[in-house]
Amino acid sequence: MNAAPLIEARALTLSSAGRTLLRALSWQARVGERWCVIGRNAVGKSTLLRALAGLPVPQREGAVDWLGRPQAAWNPADAAAVRAFAPQQPSDRFPISVQRLLELAVCVPGGPSTGALLHALDAACLAERDVMQLSGGERQRVALAQCAAQGAPLMLLDEPIAFQDPAHQRLVARWLAGFGGRCLVFSAHDVNWIAGVATHVLALHGEGCWRAGPVAKMLSADNLEAVYGCRWRQTEGAWLVVD
Amino acid sequence: MGLQGRRLAVFAAMLVAAALALLTVAVLVGSGGLDAQLIAQLRAPRVLAAAGVGALLALSGLAMQVLLRNPLADPYVLGTSGGASVGALLALAAGASLWIGAAAGALLAGMLLLSLARSALASSDDASARLILTGAMLAAVTGALATLLLTITPDERLRGAIFWLVGDLSGAQHGWVCLLAAMAFALALLARRRSIDRMMLGTEAAALLGEPVQRLRYELLVAASLAAGLAVATAGAIGFVGLVVPQLLRLVGVQRTRELAWMSPVSGAALLVGADLVARMVAVPMELPVGSVMALIGAPLFIAFLGRSAR
Repeated sequence: MNAAPLIEARALTLSSAGRTLLRALSWQARVGERWCVIGRNAVGKSTLLRALAGLPVPQREGAVDWLGRPQAAWNPADAAAVRAFAPQQPSDRFPISVQRLLELAVCVPGGPSTGALLHALDAACLAERDVMQLSGGERQRVALAQCAAQGAPLMLLDEPIAFQDPAHQRLVARWLAGFGGRCLVFSAHDVNWIAGVATHVLALHGEGCWRAGPVAKMLSADNLEAVYGCRWRQTEGAWLVVD
Repeated sequence: MGLQGRRLAVFAAMLVAAALALLTVAVLVGSGGLDAQLIAQLRAPRVLAAAGVGALLALSGLAMQVLLRNPLADPYVLGTSGGASVGALLALAAGASLWIGAAAGALLAGMLLLSLARSALASSDDASARLILTGAMLAAVTGALATLLLTITPDERLRGAIFWLVGDLSGAQHGWVCLLAAMAFALALLARRRSIDRMMLGTEAAALLGEPVQRLRYELLVAASLAAGLAVATAGAIGFVGLVVPQLLRLVGVQRTRELAWMSPVSGAALLVGADLVARMVAVPMELPVGSVMALIGAPLFIAFLGRSAR
């Protein structure tokens, strides 16, 4: 661990409409790590991912650095070569083919071909289709492929399996785990899926509180109860909510 | 699936051939027959003006659609042309240049629309309806202002009410200025084709891909307004060309700025030349204002597109 972390939050505080979502987050992530942000609905997971991506959020204080340089110091073109962001649901207004969309997204040349990316996400057959005619799950896998096609080492993904069926959830998990040379930060709700994909977890407890650490330590019955407000137990390696 | 390769080339060739054929027919056909002097002095300048204005309006519509990220945007529907009319009428009343007044009026209306619709544009959810309604109200206000100015300005100082409110090509001059401006506009779009394709993905998406979004938006706003202003100063407020042309091209499968940037002005020129031919010939010896012909074609198509986008 010699170089600066790929992304570092320094005393990052986020709030919205008078409500503190996150207080003084001090956290960093490096290449090879896969961080999952967990928390209840409306706790601020999407807002945090947007702030980490350098997108506008209601209110923020503190700083986020990419490669040791504050976000504001990056010009847009250089920033595009460092971080990519996949929103939960892209809004399409104009017709464009999937193939063309991925071509437009490339910011760092020399990455995997768009064909290979689509194939890896079971979307090869969608290449010629218009994005406006895809189902929710298909559109989301195309957005994931687009995020990877950009070629940036830092990939931020907002609920990458929100619209995926169980088979495709597993496919996305394997796909994410294959990015050894990049740093991934994503949000998700399925604890068992998270246990199989993430190397680290950043938990938002609400009221601005947070905890971060390796996945094995973070996914404990006590921690999960603190995050979600319901009781958990582990049976045969799988986490279950106790009624 | 978009048009590609050989099919795109065939479509492009057909489009150019159809536009040239229409241009030829429009120059040769008219109530006065094949009179060389008539053609050189009246009909050719009018057809040239129709082509130039059509090309400008199509490009203005295309740029506004990218700027507002709404395939239904059009300078007439959203009040930009109305702003140009008001600006031109004010300039006439003040004895200033018609072109400058029209351009300034269009720019002002465009900026007003952009600031009024700012919140609608910023939200990532579908804000099409709010944007279109805001623009329609802006168009209503500029239309009322233009009518007001027409009633208080002495007749001998300006062209008729039809010219400013609906658009009319009889007596239009300087078509070549419009054509040159349209060419410059198209080339500017082509030079930014990758950026503009990315802008169509969304402002935020384009910014994430490293595009200088703010600068691009100002460039598009200024270009779209100047084009609408020049078109209005030449032929009055003609509507729907900017809406119909890019939208029909997209329906055919033309998706990239690389093609839209030149096919839109060519199609827009052909459409307005055709509409003017209809306006001249449908009720000989009377001539209809081309703007009402365009509205009769464009408004039903707008409603049809609205139905499609709601699905």
